[in-house]
Amino acid sequence: MAKVKNWQINREMNYPYDEKRPKRQWAIVFDLNKCIACQTCTLACKTTWTSGKGQEYMFWNNVETKPYGAYPLAWDVRVLEKLGRQEWKSKEPYYGKTIFEGADPNERAVGFKPEDEDWMYPNNGEDDCAGTVTKGDHITLPHDKWFFYLPRTCAHCTYPACLAACPRKAIYKREEDGIVLIDQSRCKGYGECVKACPYKKSMYNPYTRISEKCVGCYPAVEQGYQPMCVQNCIGKIRIMGFINPPWKAREDNPLDYLVHKKGLALPYYPQLGLEPNIYYIPPIHADKSYLSQMFGPNVLGAIGQYQALQDDPVAQGLLLLMGSTDRIIHRFEVKNGMATGFDEADDEIVSVPVTEPLMERKPFDEKLGAVRQNTP
Amino acid sequence: MTRFGISATWIIAGALWAAPAWGVTASKVNDKVIDVDSGAALWAKAQEEVVTLMAQPIALPRPAKTETAQIRVKAVHDGSWIAFLLRWKDSEKSEAGILGKFSDGAALQFPVGDGDPPPIFMGARGQPVHIFHWRAQYQRDAEKGKPEMTDLYPNMNPDMYPMEFKDPGSLKGKIGKAQQEVYSHGKAAGNPQSYLKSGVDEIFAEGFGSSSVIENADSKARGKWSKGEWSLVITRPLERSNGSVLKAGSPAWMAFAVWQGDRDEVGSRKSVTMSWLPLEVK
Repeated sequence: MAKVKNWQINREMNYPYDEKRPKRQWAIVFDLNKCIACQTCTLACKTTWTSGKGQEYMFWNNVETKPYGAYPLAWDVRVLEKLGRQEWKSKEPYYGKTIFEGADPNERAVGFKPEDEDWMYPNNGEDDCAGTVTKGDHITLPHDKWFFYLPRTCAHCTYPACLAACPRKAIYKREEDGIVLIDQSRCKGYGECVKACPYKKSMYNPYTRISEKCVGCYPAVEQGYQPMCVQNCIGKIRIMGFINPPWKAREDNPLDYLVHKKGLALPYYPQLGLEPNIYYIPPIHADKSYLSQMFGPNVLGAIGQYQALQDDPVAQGLLLLMGSTDRIIHRFEVKNGMATGFDEADDEIVSVPVTEPLMERKPFDEKLGAVRQNTP
Repeated sequence: MTRFGISATWIIAGALWAAPAWGVTASKVNDKVIDVDSGAALWAKAQEEVVTLMAQPIALPRPAKTETAQIRVKAVHDGSWIAFLLRWKDSEKSEAGILGKFSDGAALQFPVGDGDPPPIFMGARGQPVHIFHWRAQYQRDAEKGKPEMTDLYPNMNPDMYPMEFKDPGSLKGKIGKAQQEVYSHGKAAGNPQSYLKSGVDEIFAEGFGSSSVIENADSKARGKWSKGEWSLVITRPLERSNGSVLKAGSPAWMAFAVWQGDRDEVGSRKSVTMSWLPLEVK
């Protein structure tokens, strides 16, 4: 076991391989306050990558309802239960065990093997709310009856458990963008990655008899485009880009700004120790203890930041750039009421107003001699 | 397994190594052995060796306990081919197929090249080993063809797959297997695991995790499961160019591994011989 630095839990931890960070790291930020579980991302991914034989129930991108939804069944609570109760005090590093540190001596990571049936109900728990709605109930803040949607892709972790567990070393992390891939020519379908990945984003294909996973849409990323799930998000809740570790963070990088500068977006289940690279702006009205378990003790700070957005034109501008371009934004700036995104060559690719100009139209169109209807 | 357990195992293996009568003996027979099966009369006279296996102790992930403690081995040859009969207890026949279900399997391992044999655990860089890996799953392929999704899930009702149309219309005759298989990533990448198997894979390896399947190998295997026991015959040419070479009268080495699918054994989760066994080809 090597000692590696995991900034998400703010300490060194044990991992089977040495720390070797890629030149840049693929990452997505999701604003959970805006996700409506329309599953457009899921279908964009499915039609692109998993329409073949043996992929019938395979969703590299899925959206599940929390707390009761899970694909595969109960992946989150089963991993947490296996790891056992751990403590993480606010403002301190996480001193509990990661899945690598808590592993049985015969295993690489704490994990469980989902059964075939566990993958067959991707909509399980959809729209189920925590708490019972009774007659006369009304909405309170924060909501005492709550649920939220959690869209998930592979997190292309800095310390992937799938990669750690593969005895054939058929899984690798690309140096150029940090995308984690299963070598489709070398995998033999042992399912060790399926068992070890706590997020259950490695999946077994019984037709090809090997395992597969989200490829981060690397062919698009190589061309400077965001993945299909991001491009097709109609709620504009996602942005894909490249994140730096905090000691190299750049304030004008959209991902660094949201995660490191503002602390608005947080990794999910960072205590598992994988340094996952999908980040969530937490839903501000959901149960705080549940959110703390999922996003760590910094979640209250993130919610505070979100609630203060009205006084922060820069963050507002950046959130408006989400979903406004198919291209990868490497740098952004907000000035004179405009938010602008730039590509790798620092050429402008998109510019949006922070506040949409108010247009007032007279009820009668003189030129056409017609009454204007307000129908969309 | 504890560290103490590993060192204790080495001591036991070392002690057995010194025993003079230890090893597999292959006598020459007059019949051709290439297609021999486990019920053939020629096995009656062959000498049986009881081989002790232990849970693979080195590479992670590894089994928590030994699932196959011993196998009984016989061998015969006809001057050009050699046949090995392996028998071991396995309470459940497993052919794998769907997620989380693994196949029963067994493997023979031979050194490549002369001199001292390579490290027992699948060789090392520059010291390759030659492996014959049989799986019940591969044998099923050989007997019934590679399973389609509807074989694995008889009640499923797929609408359609890309480039596979019930009524291809104007595309009739224009879509070939190659276009369809682009959608099966393993096949498109040419992974042998995704294609029809002959029953046994021939593999070269230079250490754990380095194995690669040899194309167009001609070894054969046929397993039969009955009353809680597998009887498996693997036949191979005595000499394999670039691979392991067995010659009558020349000392040789071999090793074994067994997987029990219903006990979740796959890949590095297996029972293995802890040292090379002498193989005498008479």
